[in-house]
Amino acid sequence: MTAGKTLTPAGRRRTLGRVVGFLVLCFGAFLFVFPFYYMVVGALQAEPDSGISGAFPSPGDLSLTNFQSINERVPLFRALFNSVVYTGGVILGTLIIGVLAGYALSQLRWRGRSLVLNLVLLTLIIPFQLLMIPMYVLIVRGWGLGDSYLGMILPFLVNSTAVFIFRQFFMQLPEDMLDAARIDGAGELRILARIVLPLSRPAILTAALITFIGPWNEFLWPFLVTKKAELQPLAVALANYISAVAASTANPFGAILSGAVVLALPPVVLFIIFQRYFVESETSASLKE
Amino acid sequence: MTGQEIPAGESSEAVIQAAITAGNAPCLVWNVAPAAVPQFQRAGGLVPLNSFDGGAKYADQRVGDRVDQYVSSDGDLYQLPWKSNPVMIIYNKELFQEAGLDPENPKLATYDEFLSTSETINSELDIAPIWPSADQTFYQAWFDYYPTFIAATGGDQLVENGKAQFDSETGLEVGEFWRSMYEDGLIPQESSPVDAFAEEESAMSIVGPWAVAVYTDLDWGVVPVPTPDGKAPQDIYTFSDAKNVSIFSACKNQKTAFDYMKFATSEGSDRRLLEMTGQMPLREDLEGRYADFFDENPLYAKFAEQASRTVEVPNVENSVQMWENFRGAYSESVIFGKEPVDKAFSTSAKEVEELVKGQGR
Amino acid sequence: MTGAARYIGYLFILPYLIFLGLFLAFPLGFAVWMSFYDYFFAAPSAQVERPFLGLGNYSELLLKDDTFHTALGNILVFIAVNVPLTVVLALVLAAALNAKLPGQAFFRTSYYLPYVTASVAVVAVWGYLFFSDGLVNLVLGGLAPHPSWLVNEFWAMIVIAMLVTWKQLGYYVLLYLAALQNVPRQLYEAADVDGAGTLGKFWNVTVPGLRPVTLLVVILSTIIGANLFTEPYLLTNGGGPVDQTLSPILYMYQVGIEQADAGYAAAIGVTMSVIVLGIAAAQRFVLERE
Repeated sequence: MTAGKTLTPAGRRRTLGRVVGFLVLCFGAFLFVFPFYYMVVGALQAEPDSGISGAFPSPGDLSLTNFQSINERVPLFRALFNSVVYTGGVILGTLIIGVLAGYALSQLRWRGRSLVLNLVLLTLIIPFQLLMIPMYVLIVRGWGLGDSYLGMILPFLVNSTAVFIFRQFFMQLPEDMLDAARIDGAGELRILARIVLPLSRPAILTAALITFIGPWNEFLWPFLVTKKAELQPLAVALANYISAVAASTANPFGAILSGAVVLALPPVVLFIIFQRYFVESETSASLKE
Repeated sequence: MTGQEIPAGESSEAVIQAAITAGNAPCLVWNVAPAAVPQFQRAGGLVPLNSFDGGAKYADQRVGDRVDQYVSSDGDLYQLPWKSNPVMIIYNKELFQEAGLDPENPKLATYDEFLSTSETINSELDIAPIWPSADQTFYQAWFDYYPTFIAATGGDQLVENGKAQFDSETGLEVGEFWRSMYEDGLIPQESSPVDAFAEEESAMSIVGPWAVAVYTDLDWGVVPVPTPDGKAPQDIYTFSDAKNVSIFSACKNQKTAFDYMKFATSEGSDRRLLEMTGQMPLREDLEGRYADFFDENPLYAKFAEQASRTVEVPNVENSVQMWENFRGAYSESVIFGKEPVDKAFSTSAKEVEELVKGQGR
Repeated sequence: MTGAARYIGYLFILPYLIFLGLFLAFPLGFAVWMSFYDYFFAAPSAQVERPFLGLGNYSELLLKDDTFHTALGNILVFIAVNVPLTVVLALVLAAALNAKLPGQAFFRTSYYLPYVTASVAVVAVWGYLFFSDGLVNLVLGGLAPHPSWLVNEFWAMIVIAMLVTWKQLGYYVLLYLAALQNVPRQLYEAADVDGAGTLGKFWNVTVPGLRPVTLLVVILSTIIGANLFTEPYLLTNGGGPVDQTLSPILYMYQVGIEQADAGYAAAIGVTMSVIVLGIAAAQRFVLERE
């Protein structure tokens, strides 16, 4: 509190509210981070320890052996590259096709719009495991896309949640601004590209981040589709490592945890870099004129 | 000839099934679980080995009488027995010593002895004497009930000629034995999140020879699984935990695959398998053929001796459903005591008999 | 609207429709067709018999299959715990994370971490923590349930619900965060002028402003919850003792992949889809009434 400023009752309420909010956040963050912390700590230990000392080991007990084994047996760079291509392909597909679809579902009028909206929901309702083998037959036997990036990407090409996000976001854009552009003779594509998209940064980022996780962590489908180890993404390579190591070592727990830490690192780093762009700064809100 | 690693585990079944369906299965898969063979065969994915010149004879020469355990119900042989991991009991000598038990000649032959030894370990050391997994996955029974059942009955399979064998007097006795271990609190009702034997949270484990390469930090001995009245070791049979090799119908060069298969299961190749992995080639007279290896590796020698007396899972239709059904009954009655063992087993026996007839689900 | 403009909508939605047609409609149609037969997958050249069963699979499933009924009960318990918890926590957290507070980056990342982490590790860690000799029971001492959490008929599914809520929260927080950007600042400013405190603003501006997203979150979490597969699969490997953590989709996977009974598995999948569709429609009807 700066000197000379008295606090109104509302101001006091606001400050109290903020302090409480902050404390709640701290407690919540602790609950959230603790299992993750436990995971990292477990990965850094050569032997699993279920007691208290396992949760708070002295620095001397930590070791990198689990990570060293991974480095020896898993082609990390190759697998990382494959993951980037796979995930990147899905994000690209979602951003292009999903944005078009989101725009069509929110701003454009055409018959069958609500039917398609329900279809989007349907993609989330139908469990993937039900479709897996017929899809495999279609993609691998029908189109010969086994052992290819395209074969991995296609079933996941457009993330339905992203379509919802785009639709939701586009629906809340000011109509008059867009109508003004239409009156000026701008085509819908131009409106989308020049006006809507620049305003949609939080939506695009959110959609990208949500879309990212699926293919990044996906194991079963790429595993099915690829037989060549050089094409397998990181999640598959690590899963192979875990199941191979689990059968031949006395500390499968450490192997699982260290594999997961390696896999989680890129998304976490990306998130830390981009997380401030989720929240729109005050200035851009003034575009609503 | 190109080779590709395929990880073990449930997902490998999904991959093989998908590959059969898409028509792009590899020529040979060296990780075929006998329990999965009926499914692959029903899908038309496998090539009968007896359709090759000298195929049947090759298998006969390899494993002798036991080849019958691997023949399918239509009389054809769709898998070549490759390697086994005969299941035995290993015990931690140090822990046994600590508990005041004899580490060189432990009393683990009869059920009474096994129970009493277990109780001593539990009361002296406050750990589980042995800690089999409590999971319900269909293959878990292969590592607790099934080996002891095979041993107690002198070599019966779970189902024979369409008739369930586990609800017999001996089968129930085996069930009651495990039940008393759980009832007395000797075995936890949850699977251990870590390797219990490695972390010395259990004094014994029920394993195959793969243990030799894994538990290198511990001093342990090997004995056969217990039987109700203590059969002589040379009369004890156990579960084979075999992995076999099959030729898949999608293969374009089946004759070549067959020739390669013979090469890779020759005496020399089997020796390499033994030396590199310690897994027992599933063939006759291991101890004689590879005597020098076993002289140098006495721990393996015990498993090799046991390897000539193994029994396989029944090669029947709906074999996975059968094991799931049994495991469910075992879990409810033996592990959790929610139902009496005889009632659970007899209900399961009826359902299992339906399943292997190809009816029911 | 001009004639050409009317077709723009179709043009824009076309790529997505193609995607849906190929990767949803076709496999789904095939799966539905399978469910009416004693169907199993076979090699391309194989001659196999797959007798037509009509509604045979469905009648067996709905009337006689105790395992399926147990799994259904389990998933209802799961949804009852998971959905309300998710909506409330995600909303509150997103609002808190939207504000300018110190350590923002840290907080936002901490809620995102579980969502990003591969399930296999999350499940391993939680399994370890909730094990009968694990940290949670160590801390609880005498309060620990007997039998321990994951083999306890009452607690097992609830532990899984907590695990999945924890893990998925980041996803819903992201959804709410994105939507929060659209709540007009003027409304907050007006509330300030009226003398509203933080709680007042939250209740009277934020919550109503997020209503459409809340509906989406309810529907999404229900749908995703009903399709629960990975965590029961990894945690108890088979549904746990007496099937208390068996989820319907895990059951479908066991039947379809482990038992290679594709027709019956398809019937399970189709049945679940219909049930979930019904629930989602009901939710929309109830919550959109305005």
